[in-house]
Amino acid sequence: MPHEVRMPQLGMTQDSGVIVAWLKAEGDAVAQGDPLIEVETDKATVEVEAQAAGFIAGLRAAEGDDVPVGDVIAVIVSSEAEIADHASSGKPSAPAITEPEPAPEEKAEPPAAATPDIGDVAEPSPAPPTPPAAPATGKVLASPKAKRLALERGIDLTSLRGQGLREPFHARDLDHIATGGHSVLTAEVAGNAMTALLAASTETMGRQLFAAFAAGAWRSLFATDDAGIAIKALDGTVTTIGRADEPIVLTLVDLCDTRLTTYAPAGGGVTLCVARRTDRYDLTLSFAETGLPLPHAAALLDDIAARVEDPIRQLL
Amino acid sequence: MREITLSQAVNEAIAEEMRRDETVFLIGEDVAEAGTPFKVLSGLVEEFGTKRVIDTPIAEPGFMGIAVGAAMTGARPIVDLMFGDFLYLVMDQLCNQAAKTHYMSGGKLKVPLVLRTNLGATRRSAAQHSQSLQALVAHIPGLKVAMPSSAYEAKGLMKTAIRDDNPVVIFEDKLMYQDKAPVPEEEFLIPFGKANVLREGSDITLIGTSSMRQVCEKAADLLADDGISADVIDPRTIVPLDDETLLASARKTSRVIVVDEGHQSYGVTAEIASRINEKAFYHLDAPVIRMGAMDVPVPFSPALEDLTVPTPEGVLENARKLVAGELIHAA
Repeated sequence: MPHEVRMPQLGMTQDSGVIVAWLKAEGDAVAQGDPLIEVETDKATVEVEAQAAGFIAGLRAAEGDDVPVGDVIAVIVSSEAEIADHASSGKPSAPAITEPEPAPEEKAEPPAAATPDIGDVAEPSPAPPTPPAAPATGKVLASPKAKRLALERGIDLTSLRGQGLREPFHARDLDHIATGGHSVLTAEVAGNAMTALLAASTETMGRQLFAAFAAGAWRSLFATDDAGIAIKALDGTVTTIGRADEPIVLTLVDLCDTRLTTYAPAGGGVTLCVARRTDRYDLTLSFAETGLPLPHAAALLDDIAARVEDPIRQLL
Repeated sequence: MREITLSQAVNEAIAEEMRRDETVFLIGEDVAEAGTPFKVLSGLVEEFGTKRVIDTPIAEPGFMGIAVGAAMTGARPIVDLMFGDFLYLVMDQLCNQAAKTHYMSGGKLKVPLVLRTNLGATRRSAAQHSQSLQALVAHIPGLKVAMPSSAYEAKGLMKTAIRDDNPVVIFEDKLMYQDKAPVPEEEFLIPFGKANVLREGSDITLIGTSSMRQVCEKAADLLADDGISADVIDPRTIVPLDDETLLASARKTSRVIVVDEGHQSYGVTAEIASRINEKAFYHLDAPVIRMGAMDVPVPFSPALEDLTVPTPEGVLENARKLVAGELIHAA
């Protein structure tokens, strides 16, 4: 089975990478860990190492090509004889979830036996509709008084987004912010079913699936139709899921392909962090109890955890 | 306390001042025998005679000019302009002469003149007898502008106006002449530049001039049913304007609606809203809303005319939006 070399995601918001240089040529032997290509992102140029030993075959991108994250750019075959089988004209296979660089053990994880045919399930895509233009990039709408009070109290008004409040923000909205800190709840969820499901999805689809579960839990728990979700990347950019007029009730932070486990923003807001472990997901909900009382927060996280644990039921 | 009509209050104020100061006289159309179309001045000619209550021909620029000259030479004329709409006829005498003489004479001359006239629509008087033109004269430096909101204010402000050494234009709402209010028997004056806080609340400030004070009070009653408490303030004079009281209220409630019956554009409401924006900006939790008459000639059709002026229901609707924190892009 040849090993597919894909364009890695080297930054949270990176959509593609430019191949600056191939450090190996087709037919070259490589050892695991050998520098393979130099990739330039919008931030840096990075050497990408081979994740498997063997021979380089089927180069599908040339130097200077801008390749979408997840696209196959070459394969590593185990014997010289197989090189010819992977001629460089091959059609790139569908994008897949980025191979996590420092997580080789995951590759060994077989798909859960209990999981039915993943392909069928993934077909009716659970991804929510295209998110509206993210308001997060625009100016925060707030009254002059709210702006003054925020300044006096050291509150970043953008942190009011993701708390179920509609803009423009007013003075009373600042009361939703507990300036003193936040509460944290954590859930550990068996991850086999979700991991198997995500193996067939892109990273973006994975995030949208987590966001959809969070929105679903929020809607059913609080009997509302208004449950917009913001997806915050570690570089600070925010995209939103939901109708344009829907208030953002929760911010999702996907830490699956990092070593990080929790991000709880100062200034409150309801934030859900998703981190992947070998066989489980750690879900962390941080919240201000003034805005979301503990019983509600606990029920919310439990509901989300149940959905992550048994994603197929949610999708069917 | 006894209650008298606004008409009686004006009559009393003028009579008292004419008794007190023999240089005070009345001049205008139908002021003597007819006592004006609104019967405000009935009985004055009987007491003070035709030399101090002077009927004129239908010639507004003429009698206005006479009054300015008389004021410059020691008298204290009260000019009766039958309708506020006729201000256009006396603009030069009022704005170029009366308003500027004290300044241009280096303080040697003064023009202690009162121009009493009226404002207000919904009397079915059509476009040329229904205007509220207070903004027009409030714009001119050198003129003071009073806007009584009840019989009590009508009396107290009129007496202050007559005693003021500057030209004062006083606008009475022609629909309020028969409205009664408690007015003390004993003498009193209401100082210019001192707003009247009619009721205190915490959620919103409603500022209403003249009869718009009653509109604001009714709106405040309706808001109270919603659990929203309002400050209601009558500025009483728009020149000078009591910034301090208005700003203190704006800082307290963070939301303000200004109501005046002049046309909304370039009006009194705009001036007050602008001062609040400039001086209380960081206390505002919502844009200051202006509510004036529609920017149209006042229609003769009763059904249409009633739509052109601010109403308690309109103020209520805007107040609810402000308190709810809706996104406001005020017209």
